Amino acid sequence: MPDGIVLACLVGLPFVAAIVAGLLPTRARDTASMLAGAVALVCLGLVWSAYGTVSGGGVLRAELPWMPQLGLSIVLRMDGFAWLFAGLITGIGALVVLYARYYMSAEDPVPRFFSFLLAFMGAMTGLVLSGHLVQLALFWELTSFLSFLLIGYWHHTAAARDGARMALTITATGGLSLFAGVLVLGHIVGSYDLDVVLAAGDTIRDHPLYIVALILIVLGALTKSAQFPFHFWLPHAMAAPTPVSAYLHSATLVKAGVFLLARLWPVMAGTDAWAWTVGLAGLITMLIGAYIAIFQNDLKGLLAYSTISHLGLITLLLGLKSELALIAAIFHTMNHAAFKCSLFMAAGIIDHETGTRDIRRLSGLNGPMPFTARLALVAAAAMAGVPLLNGFISKEMFFAEALSATAPVHPLLNVLPLAAMLASAFSVVYSLRFIHGVFFGSPPTDLPRTPHEPATWMRFPVEILVLTCIMVGVLPAATVGPYLDIAARAVLGDATPYYSLAVWHGVNLPLLMSVVAMAAGVTIYLILQRRLREGMDGPPLIRHLDAQRLFERAMVTLSWRLARTLERIAGTRRLQPQLRLILIAAIVAGAGAAFVRGVGPGNLVPAPIDPVLALLWVVGAACALGAAWQAKFHRLAATILLGGVGLVVCVTFVWFSAPDLALTQLTVEIVTTVLLLLGLRWLPKRMQSSSAREPEVLGRTRRLRDLAIATAAGGCMAMLAYVVMTRTPPELLAQHFLARAYLEGGGTNVVNVILVDFRGFDTLGEIFVVGVVALTTFALLRRFRPAADSVELPEQQRDQLEADEARHARDDGRHVADWLLVPFTLTRLLFPVMLVAAAFLLLRGHDLPGGGFSAGMVVAIAIILQYIVGGTEWTEDRLSLLRPPAWIGTGLLLAAGTGVAAWAFGLPFMTSYFSYADLPVLGKVPMASALIFDIGVFVLVVGATLLMLIALAHQSVRGRRSTPRTLPQAKASPRVADAVGGGG
Amino acid sequence: MSDWTTHLLIAPVVVPMLAGAVMVLASDRWRWSPVPLGLASMLAQVVLAMLLLAAADQPAVRIYRLGNWPAEFGIVLALDRLSALMLALASVLGLAAFVFSLARWQRAGVHFHPLLQFQMLGLNGAFLTGDLFNLFVFFEVMLAASYGLALHGSGTARVRAGLHYIVVNLVASLLFLVGVSLVYGIAGTLNMADLAQRMRGIASEDRAVLEAGLAVLGIAFLVKAAMWPLGFWLTGTYSAASAPAAAILSLLSKVGIYAVLRLWLLLFGDDAGASVGFAGPWLVIGGLLTVAFGSIAVLASQNLSRMAGASVLVSSGTLLAAIGSGQVRVTGGALFYLASSVLAIGAFFLLIELVERGREVGADVLAVTREAFGTGEEEEDIDAPDEVGVAIPGTVAILGLSFMTCALLLAGLPPLSGFLAKFAILAPLFSAGAAVTPMSWALMAALILSGLATVIALVRSGIDVFWTTPHSAPPRVGLIEFAPIAMLLALCIALTAAAGPAMTYLDAAARSLHAPQDYVQGVMGVPDPEPRRAP
Repeated sequence: MPDGIVLACLVGLPFVAAIVAGLLPTRARDTASMLAGAVALVCLGLVWSAYGTVSGGGVLRAELPWMPQLGLSIVLRMDGFAWLFAGLITGIGALVVLYARYYMSAEDPVPRFFSFLLAFMGAMTGLVLSGHLVQLALFWELTSFLSFLLIGYWHHTAAARDGARMALTITATGGLSLFAGVLVLGHIVGSYDLDVVLAAGDTIRDHPLYIVALILIVLGALTKSAQFPFHFWLPHAMAAPTPVSAYLHSATLVKAGVFLLARLWPVMAGTDAWAWTVGLAGLITMLIGAYIAIFQNDLKGLLAYSTISHLGLITLLLGLKSELALIAAIFHTMNHAAFKCSLFMAAGIIDHETGTRDIRRLSGLNGPMPFTARLALVAAAAMAGVPLLNGFISKEMFFAEALSATAPVHPLLNVLPLAAMLASAFSVVYSLRFIHGVFFGSPPTDLPRTPHEPATWMRFPVEILVLTCIMVGVLPAATVGPYLDIAARAVLGDATPYYSLAVWHGVNLPLLMSVVAMAAGVTIYLILQRRLREGMDGPPLIRHLDAQRLFERAMVTLSWRLARTLERIAGTRRLQPQLRLILIAAIVAGAGAAFVRGVGPGNLVPAPIDPVLALLWVVGAACALGAAWQAKFHRLAATILLGGVGLVVCVTFVWFSAPDLALTQLTVEIVTTVLLLLGLRWLPKRMQSSSAREPEVLGRTRRLRDLAIATAAGGCMAMLAYVVMTRTPPELLAQHFLARAYLEGGGTNVVNVILVDFRGFDTLGEIFVVGVVALTTFALLRRFRPAADSVELPEQQRDQLEADEARHARDDGRHVADWLLVPFTLTRLLFPVMLVAAAFLLLRGHDLPGGGFSAGMVVAIAIILQYIVGGTEWTEDRLSLLRPPAWIGTGLLLAAGTGVAAWAFGLPFMTSYFSYADLPVLGKVPMASALIFDIGVFVLVVGATLLMLIALAHQSVRGRRSTPRTLPQAKASPRVADAVGGGG
Repeated sequence: MSDWTTHLLIAPVVVPMLAGAVMVLASDRWRWSPVPLGLASMLAQVVLAMLLLAAADQPAVRIYRLGNWPAEFGIVLALDRLSALMLALASVLGLAAFVFSLARWQRAGVHFHPLLQFQMLGLNGAFLTGDLFNLFVFFEVMLAASYGLALHGSGTARVRAGLHYIVVNLVASLLFLVGVSLVYGIAGTLNMADLAQRMRGIASEDRAVLEAGLAVLGIAFLVKAAMWPLGFWLTGTYSAASAPAAAILSLLSKVGIYAVLRLWLLLFGDDAGASVGFAGPWLVIGGLLTVAFGSIAVLASQNLSRMAGASVLVSSGTLLAAIGSGQVRVTGGALFYLASSVLAIGAFFLLIELVERGREVGADVLAVTREAFGTGEEEEDIDAPDEVGVAIPGTVAILGLSFMTCALLLAGLPPLSGFLAKFAILAPLFSAGAAVTPMSWALMAALILSGLATVIALVRSGIDVFWTTPHSAPPRVGLIEFAPIAMLLALCIALTAAAGPAMTYLDAAARSLHAPQDYVQGVMGVPDPEPRRAP
C-alpha cells in the first residue's frame, strides 16, 4: 500500500469509526465494542505493515497542503520512533477496548464512550505521526479536549466533572503554550516541518530566542505529562472509567509529553537550560509522586501517583545529557505502558468484583481471585523493578545513567543516584502495599460485593500484558530489542551509542543499588504497614498541601473574583460614564491630532460682526445653555428652550440666504417639538432618592466635571469649525453642482437637485432611516407601559373633568371643546390651505425653494394641528386616510422604484430623466423623474411623522383605558386601532 | 453600462430595499405573511453575494456610478474582495437569523421582517459604498434598523439596554458627522478614493485639521467596533437582545472594523504623505486593551449571553490590534479571523437561546460557587456507587456537540477555523526573518491568553449546562431553529477544510487593501460618462 493511504487510514479510520459509533443506539454495547476493537486491530495491522520500511531506517511520509501560504501542511510522517508509539497506541488500544467491553455496565450508554475512545485514539495517533509542528500542536490540543470528554464520561458525578475540568484547564494551557513555542521555533528555523526542524539543531540552540522556545515547549510537555508543579491533575483524572485510566496512563495522553521531549531531544537538548528545566522537573516529580503514592488509600490513586513518579523518571532521563539516557527513557516508556496498563486493569477488576477500591477495606483477595492476584503480583513486581521483569532492566539502565550522567551541576550529580535509589525504594513500598494490602492478609469481610474471578475475556488483556512484562524481562534483546533499536535510531540517527539489553551485566554498582533499594523498600513497608492499614490522612509532611484545593482556589480567585473586580474597575454598565468616556476620547483624538501637528486659523478674515445677528446668537446661545441647565429637572422648559435654539438657527439660515435649509429647519423644529412634548407626559418623575445616596459634594463635583467636559467638547468643536471656515475652501463639489444642476439635472434649485439627483442615493438612504425610525418607535411604544407615577391624569386634565362634572348636564370633555372652539375652527379652515401650500412646495421644489421633504412636513404639521385642537378620536374619525404604514411603504417604493426604473433604459440606478411637457392650461411644465422621487420622499415623510405621532398620541388613549376610574370611556374607533395595530 | 451584470453590484442594496418596502406596505394593506418574500430576499442576497464574491476576485475594483454621475462628485459603489467578503458574511448571517426567527421570534413584536430587511440594506450599502457621506447614510440605516431589532421583543432589560445602545450610537453618529464635515472642509471631497489621492498633496497647515477630522471619525468607528473604553455598551445590549437580533448585531460591530480597515489602509497607506500609518500604534494598544478587557469580561460573565457579548469584544480587539500592526500578511490573517469569528459568534448567539431554554435563572452563578466551596459531596468516597453513565437525549447531544464546536471556534482551539485564524495572524509576525517586536509578543500573548480565558469560561458553563444540571426534559428545539446554527457551523468547518483557497483569496484582499493605488485608480480612473444633454 502507498504510504499516504496507510498513514491516512491510521489517523482517519478511528475518527470515522468514532462518528459511526456515536450514531449507534444507546444500548449497542456489543456493536460499539466490536467496531472499536476491529478498528484498533486494523490500525495495529497497518502499523505492523510499515515495519518493513521503518526497520530499515526508512520513513513513511505523506503531505497534503492546507494553508500553503503560511507553510501549514498536513504532514504524516512515520519513522521508527513514531512507529513504536503508534504500535503502543493501537495495540494497547485494542486491549483496552476488549477490557472495556466487559468492564462497562450493560446499562451504560457505551456507544458514546467508544466514540470518544476511538476519536482519542485517532488524535493520539495523529500526534505521534505529525511531521509538522503546528499539526502536532493541533493534535495535542485535540487529545486534551477528547481526554476531557473521556474523563468526564460519568459526568453525573462531581468527581468526574471536576477532574475533567482540571485536566482540560491544565493540559489546554500547556497546549497553548506549546503552540506559542512552536511559533517561536518556526521563527527560528524558518519552517514548521519536522524534518527541517530536526536538521537545524545548531541553529536552534544558538538562537537568542532558544530559551523562549524551550520554556514554552517544555511547559507544554510538563503539563501534559503531569510533571511537578502541574502533576496534580492526573490523580483526579482517575474519575474516568478504569479502561480510560488504563489507556491514558499507559500508552497515551501523559506519554505525549515525554514523546514530545524525546522527539525534539536531538535539536533542543544538550544545553544547561534544558537540563535544568526538564531534568529538575523530572527529579522532583519522581520523588514526590512516589512518596505520595505510598499513602494513597485508593487503588487507582496509588497507581496514578506511581504514574506521575515513573513519568518523572522518564523526564529526568530525557533531561540528562546522554544518548543512553534517551534510550533508557524510550525503553522505560514501553515497559511502563505494559505494567501500568495491566495494573489499572487489575485494579478495575478488583473494583468491579468487590465494589470498592479502598485498600484499607480490601484484604485476602488471593483466596477468591487467585488468578487475578497472580497477574497483579507480576505486574506490580515489574513496577517495583524486580529482576526477570521488564521494569528491572530499564531501572538498571536508569541507575547506570544516574551514576554516569554528565549534568551541568555537580551537586545535582551527587544527589542523582541517591534520589534514584530513594524513588526506587518508594516504588517497592507502594507496589508491596498494592499486592500485600489487597491480596494477602485475612479473608475479605464487609465488601459491597462478594468477590470472584472476572469473566475470562476481561482478564485476557491483563494476561497478554503480564506475559509481555515477563518475556521482555527474561529475554529483552530477543523480544523488544529490535523495536527499541528502531525507535532509538530514528531519534538519534548516527549518534546512537552502543548499548546492551541484558538481564545480567555482572555484579556492578547499579545492581548493588537495586538490592539496597529493594531492601530499603521492604523495610519501610514493614515499618509503615500497620499505620497504612489503619489509614493515614494523606502523606506526612505535605498532608496539607492539597494541590487540587489550591488549584481550585486559585482558579476561582483569578478567573472569577479577580475578573469580576477588574471588570468593575475597568468597565461600566452605566450609560453616563460610557458617554463621558466617548466624549473624552473624541476630544483627545480630535484636539490631540490637531495640536500634535499644530493648527492655526486660516488666511481668510472674518466678516465684521453684524450687531443684529450677534444679538440673535446671544439669544440662541442663552437658549442652548438654558436647555442644558434645565434638562434634568425641568424638561418642559428645556424642550421649549431647544425650540428657541432651533428658531435662531432657522433665522440664521435665512440670514445667509439658504431658504431651503430654513424651510426644512422650521418644519422639522415644529414637528419634533410637538412630538417631544407628547413624549414628556410619559417620562418618569424626578428621582428623589439620588440626594440621599451620596453627599452633596460628590454630586456637585460630578456636575462640575461634566461641565468641564462639555465645555471642552464645545470649545474644541468651535475651534475646529473656526479653523476650517477661515480657510480658503478647496475645490469643493459645489462648483460641479452649480455648473451642472440646470444643464444636466434639469433644475434651478441646486439644493433640491443635489438632494434628489446628484446625491439622491443619500436621500434614498435617509428616507429609509426616517421610515425605520418610525416603525421602531411604533413597535417600541406599542408595548409601552407607563411608569407608575405617570399613569395618573395630569392636573390640568383633572381640573377640566371636574369642571365638566360640576355641571351635570355636560358631557365629559365639553369644557375643553368650548375653550378651544376658536382655534378649532381656524385650524379646520387652515387645513386645506396647508395642503395646497404643501402641493405648491412639492411641485416647485426642483426649481425653487421647497421639495418633498418640507412639503411632507407641512402636511404633517397640518394634521398635528388637527390632533392638537380636535383630539385624537375626532381627527382619526375624519381622516380615514391615516394609514401611516401604507404611506411609509408607498413612499419608499415610489422613491426606490424611481431608482430602479433607470434600469429599463440600461442606465445605472437612480439615473434621472427630465424634459418639458406641454400641458393644456398650465403650458410648458418641467417633467423630471426626480419629481416622482420627491413625491416618494413626501409620502414617506407624511407617513413616518404620522406613525410616530399616532404611537405617542395613543398612549393617552390607552392610558385612559387603563385607568377607567378617573375618566370616561374613550371610544377608540375600531378603525383607528386597526390602522395603528395593523403592523402586527 | 449597458451590460445587465453591472447592475448586480447594486442588487444587494436594491433587493432588501424593495422587499422591506413591500413588507411595510403589505403589512397594512393585505393580510399576507411576509415570510415567503423575506425568504426570497434573503436567498437572493446569498446568491448575489456569492456571485459578487466570485466577480471581485480580480485585481481591479468594480465600480457602480449612482445616477450615472462622474465619481468626482457623484456617489459610487465600489466592489473589491473585502466588500464581497463582508457582503457574503452579512447575507449568510442574515439568512440564519431570518430562518431562526421563524420559529418564534418573528412574533415577539411588530415589523420584525421589514426591520431585518432594512438591517440588511444598511449593512450591504455600508460595505459597498465608496463615498464617505454615503457610508454615514448607510450607517444610519443600519443603526436605525438595529435599534428596532435590539428592542424587538421588549421587556425591561431589553428596553434599558436598547436605549443605552441608541444614545451611545447617536453620539457616535454625531461624531461621524463632525468628522466627515471636517474632512470635507479641508479635502473638498467625500469620495474615499479621491480623498486617498489628495492625502499626499494636503498642505501641512491643513493636514492637522484633516487628521483631527479623521481622528474623530475614527472614534465613531471605534465606538461601533467597541474598542476599550468605548465599548461598554456592547455586552449589555447584545446579551439582552433576542437571539436572531443578537446574531445580526454581532456583525454590526464588525462594520466598525470594516470601516477602520477600509479607511485606515486607504488613507494612511504609503501614499499618504506625512500621514503614513497615522494612529497605528493607538489601534494596536486599543486592540490589545480590548482583548484584555474582553477576556476579563468573558471570565466574569454570569450567563452565556454576556459571555457571547464579551467574546465579541475579544474578537474586535484582536482584529483592531492585528490591523494596527500594518503588515499585509497579518491583515490577511485578520480577514480569515474576521470570517471565522463572525460565523462562530453568530452561531453562538443563536445556540445560547436554545441551550438556555427552560433553564433556571441564576444556575450559572451557582456553578461558580460550587466550584469555590466544593460540592458538598463526600470527597473520600472511593466506592463510587453509580458508575453507570447517564444517557444524553438526542437533542441535548446535538446541542452539546454544537456548543463544543462553538467553544473550539471562539477560543481558537484546534482543529477548527478559529485556530487557523489565530495561526494566520501570528505566523506572519513570527515568520522566518521577520523582526520580532514587542508588539508581536504582545499580540501573541493576547491571542493565546484570550483563548485560554474563553476556554476556562466556556468549559465552566458548558459543564454546568450539559453535565451538572441534566435536563429533566430535553428542551424542545425545532429543526428550523437548529438548521441555521448547523449551517453557520458547517461554514466554519468548510472554511477549515478549504483554508488554503480561502487564504489565497483573503491574502489577495489584504494585498489590494495595502496597495490602495488600484482602488483609487479603479474608482477615479474610469472615463466620465457622457454629459447629459441640455434641456
